[in-house]
Amino acid sequence: MPDINFYYLEKATLSNLKRIFNSSDFPFVRLSKFLDIESVDYEPKLEREEKIGYYNREKGSAILEEFWQSSEFIKFLGRITGLKPKFRSANHLNYSPGDYSLLHIDESEPNRLSVVYDFTRSWRLEWGGYDLYTSPDKEPLICNRDLGSLMIVKLEKGDLSCTRYVSLKSKKSTLIDFIIYDLD
Amino acid sequence: MRKAEEIPQIVKYPFPHVIVRDFLDMATLDLVIDALAGLEYEFNESDLFSYLSFGLTDIDHPVINILRDDLGDEFWRRKVAEKFSVKPISKIDMGAYVYGLGDFLLPHDDQVEGRIIAYSLHLTDIGITEKMGGALHIYEADKLGKSTLVESLIPEYNSLIMFEVSNHSWHQVGEILDDIQRLTVTGWYHA
Repeated sequence: MPDINFYYLEKATLSNLKRIFNSSDFPFVRLSKFLDIESVDYEPKLEREEKIGYYNREKGSAILEEFWQSSEFIKFLGRITGLKPKFRSANHLNYSPGDYSLLHIDESEPNRLSVVYDFTRSWRLEWGGYDLYTSPDKEPLICNRDLGSLMIVKLEKGDLSCTRYVSLKSKKSTLIDFIIYDLD
Repeated sequence: MRKAEEIPQIVKYPFPHVIVRDFLDMATLDLVIDALAGLEYEFNESDLFSYLSFGLTDIDHPVINILRDDLGDEFWRRKVAEKFSVKPISKIDMGAYVYGLGDFLLPHDDQVEGRIIAYSLHLTDIGITEKMGGALHIYEADKLGKSTLVESLIPEYNSLIMFEVSNHSWHQVGEILDDIQRLTVTGWYHA
């Protein structure tokens, strides 16, 4: 299993991250260079899945499936968020040019912690493909692609998320491990 | 004024749709395009779309009023309802839409209560080609939501595309890939 960047395990950092996470209108934190990505074997096995009007993308097992389920990572999540996340699912998602998901795929979701780890290389903003989080009465949260970043977002019932349309002009694909943890 | 007085044969697959070419006479067309060029469009984007738009349903403008009549007078509404074999149409709504480079509208079926027929009058006069993007893609979807592209309707100047709104009417506007402006007046005929 890959190691978490030691910086994020220091007591002072953890304390700071917890404060940042819980002080945002939209509770989130973004951790760049979270793992040593070069040490990760990137060999996804993907199948296309489409539900027109909802999503069109490729999906497979998460690259770091074991890591996302590990007690080490779940404990780390708990320390950063002050919550008690319970692992639900982990998938690897590939959004190629023309692919998309729409916000209403989350319509019936309960309270949860959304975790996205980014494997996307050499991305350009104008290609879209960013993660979008919305909540009633809050400003939308946009998370642009950034190789090696971990995004942790607390979503409540009624909050929605998606990966926005990837331009046909894109030369790359959006590649993410997408993990959901249930919250009480 | 409206030049077209007849609606060609409706294409039934994958859902009923039709193209009426040469919809307006040239004098009206010029006036309409001038009027639309003078509007202050609002940029709209969401997970589903990205475009500029301006609502035309309720504005009082001499040229837009003529266009509203051409698209929605009693004679034309009766023609549309008869041709599509749908219940009588009581009203229309309309808006102007401009899609520029990178804009798009992802697959959706247009279903909102009261909408019977969707329409789009194409007003870009540069001869849009497939490579420029902006085609109206028409899909067939199976029960699981897997789609098959059935037809790509390249916007033709002064052509009116209409289709019946249902849970089968999956369509999208393809991403604009060139530095063009795809201008339409688009809306719905309501029961």
